[in-house]
Amino acid sequence: MSYLNIVRRRLLLLVLVVIGVSIVTFAISHMIPGDPARMMAGERASNELVAQMRAKLGLDRPLYEQYLTYAGDLLRGDLGISIRTQRPVADDILRFFPATIELALAAMIFAIVLGIPLGVISAVAKDRAIDQITRTLSVTGISTPAFWLGLLLIYLFYGRLEWLPGSGRLDSALTPPPFVTGFYTLDALFAGDGKAFVSAVQHLLLPALTLGFLHLGIVTRQIRSAMLEVLTEDYIRTAKASGLSRRRILFDHALRNALIPSVTMIGLAFGDLLYGAVLTETVYAWPGMGNYVVQSINALDFPAIMGFTVVASTAYVLLNLFVDLTYMLLDPQIRGVG
Amino acid sequence: MRLNLKAMLLGAAALLATAIAGPLSASAAGDPNTLVVGKAGDVDSMDPAVTVTNNSWTVTYPAYERLVKFKVENGKGSTEVEGDVAKSWTVSDDGLQWTFTLNDGHKFADGSPVDAAAIKYSFDRLFKVAKGPSETVGPVTEVQVVDPHTVKFILKEPFGPFLAGLATNGACIVSPAAQQHEKDGDLGQAYLAEHTLGSGPYQVTSWEKDQQVVMEVNPNYAGPAPSFKKVIVKIIKEASARRLQLEKGDIDIAEDLPVDQFDALKKADGVTVVDEPSFQVTYLYLNNTRKPLDDVRVRQAISYAVDYKGIIDGILLGNGVQMRGPVPEGLWGHDDASFQFTTNAAKAKQLLADAGVKDLKLGYLYSKKDPNWESIGLVLQQNLAAIGITVEMQEFAYPTMREKLNSSDFDIAAGNWTPDYGDPYMFMNYWFDSDLHGLPGNRAFYTNPKVDELIRKAATAANVEERKKIYAEAQKIVIEEAPYVLLFQANYQVAIRSDVKGFVYNPMTLQMFNFETMSRAQ
Repeated sequence: MSYLNIVRRRLLLLVLVVIGVSIVTFAISHMIPGDPARMMAGERASNELVAQMRAKLGLDRPLYEQYLTYAGDLLRGDLGISIRTQRPVADDILRFFPATIELALAAMIFAIVLGIPLGVISAVAKDRAIDQITRTLSVTGISTPAFWLGLLLIYLFYGRLEWLPGSGRLDSALTPPPFVTGFYTLDALFAGDGKAFVSAVQHLLLPALTLGFLHLGIVTRQIRSAMLEVLTEDYIRTAKASGLSRRRILFDHALRNALIPSVTMIGLAFGDLLYGAVLTETVYAWPGMGNYVVQSINALDFPAIMGFTVVASTAYVLLNLFVDLTYMLLDPQIRGVG
Repeated sequence: MRLNLKAMLLGAAALLATAIAGPLSASAAGDPNTLVVGKAGDVDSMDPAVTVTNNSWTVTYPAYERLVKFKVENGKGSTEVEGDVAKSWTVSDDGLQWTFTLNDGHKFADGSPVDAAAIKYSFDRLFKVAKGPSETVGPVTEVQVVDPHTVKFILKEPFGPFLAGLATNGACIVSPAAQQHEKDGDLGQAYLAEHTLGSGPYQVTSWEKDQQVVMEVNPNYAGPAPSFKKVIVKIIKEASARRLQLEKGDIDIAEDLPVDQFDALKKADGVTVVDEPSFQVTYLYLNNTRKPLDDVRVRQAISYAVDYKGIIDGILLGNGVQMRGPVPEGLWGHDDASFQFTTNAAKAKQLLADAGVKDLKLGYLYSKKDPNWESIGLVLQQNLAAIGITVEMQEFAYPTMREKLNSSDFDIAAGNWTPDYGDPYMFMNYWFDSDLHGLPGNRAFYTNPKVDELIRKAATAANVEERKKIYAEAQKIVIEEAPYVLLFQANYQVAIRSDVKGFVYNPMTLQMFNFETMSRAQ
């Protein structure tokens, strides 16, 4: 099958997945006992006022009717109005999603940049002291609660050393750069605002480190085991025999092949990062999706919960597609098999 | 594809170096012109006709003015009101017409005058939007412009707490300029959700969602120019992060910290902890419609079994007092002479025996919304076990708990209550009127026609002395009949940098600060 066909088929699948997810979430969120109309009217509002409100929000209509209206709006790109914030859900998501992605990307970059070399070193030095240290580190990473690590880092770098700020995305006194990507670091660069860039990077460092540490362990472990496997392959022995330098064998041949199975894992780990950002965002008062969703759930803010689910599942499916395409790029054999 | 590890590592190192070497820009706190407040939750909506949360009121309260405001006496806030935009007022003999004469010189941030037309516009809008806040203000049927300086409110029925209601957030006066921002007949709700159009000392100039709200002085403010030119409200969810930033001087006020953190902060340098009795009460709803809780003796037995002091000392670390009657201490209508249940297991057992109740099992409904509720339940479990009642802990998500409360699906449930305005109406009429069964207020599903009659009479009587007398009579009955277990009135605590002066505490305006009269000692 051609590359293009695969993409086409996967995009169709994406639409089906999103429809399915939206139906399930819609059903679940409307079956949970609770009353968003009362949430809006205030806890002790009279029952009449709450009934009026429910009618205004359309919550008194049959569930399938509510869903059809929702789906119709969704097709037009309208995610509805948030019950809690009274703003269009799409606007809210556009504001909070980039913050989370920026954080997750930074965390991933940290995990990859440090995790790949550590994994390689660990594999090459199998069972030696450095391998033991790296393995301990990765187990620690995987098992450390983000919340605890976050507080520890804040205490150390903000409270004691005073190197880095303790919360938020930008210093209070600075104005956020004009919206281009929604990533403060990139937008500050585009705007040529050096101060904002430095402040944005400073604010990003600790949360990214916290979130990334967990995945550093995963990446290191994955690369290590993939490398160990690859290093026993025939072609490596052949390469060694033919007198290629150790460096070229390791990086050009071994690592490249070890990366193939790792790509999927890293891609999926990125998806986990999006969800795992919730606790990190709380500790660092990082205004991202995690915060938004938790608040929306507490307020039974259906349009917001739905909007997030639809956008997140789309992102997740797209990410998977991207991973698979990268995979094919790395391993031409798969393209042939298709 | 060639992976250039060296370049990647170098890049990362460079980024790290830039960040660490770059100066941590001087923070706004400590600046005589700027005040920084750290809050646990963001503003929801800034529209005073929509929002019902204290988090939003932190911003709307100083951005808008109202006809009346709470009096400040000797640096303490009181629950009595005095004129703000209104200079004076009269009420007709039948209590149905309130006429307000306005002060000159009050202007909106946009420069237009706060006149009778603007007041009519605001209240008409409030009732047309018809959300939660419209109920607090009272049974207004019409607002009339008599002349630019005079405005008249017509009520459906006499309403004792009317004036008190005009000091609440729903009664904010909004500039008629909001009409220019109407979209699809939304009465400007989309715009006002994110902007302020008021005549208060401050106006919102920027709002980065979930991050911070920046307020700057309203150049047309009628009162004396505020000392702080700028107020930054920062959202910092994690309590220990808020505390740390306060200790470092990055924020000036830290709200909503757990009691043990306040205890530690009291010893910290440069920080003052304000610790005052609040009107927030914590109590238990006993479902009066369920057997055997419909028997007054069983309810009294439970009230005698609870270890009040143990709860206050153990859970609040002593930062509260046991309630005496439903109206909290500090609010008029509170009766210091009224009966208070004390822990007396023997008496409780006797009452249960009289009622012929044996091997009783009751559920305790609570959620994680207030972390104290679980601890209270555990104490209750122990206390009631001592008199032979088994308590089963039933934890639910808060929305589900609310649903169960509203539909009377519980035995005992935990609850908190704060008044919207400083009037015993907020306690007596909400808690005991049989028309308000369920979430609207009477969460014990208590019914007593005599009490109904008394509290309704008290609500419509115009004279405060008369109202006091009637409420006292009603209180006697409801304390005796014990539909609720009255646990405690918690202290309100907030931590402030010691160089910030002029904070006025008012139990009616929790989380709403008098920024305009605060300053930093030089």
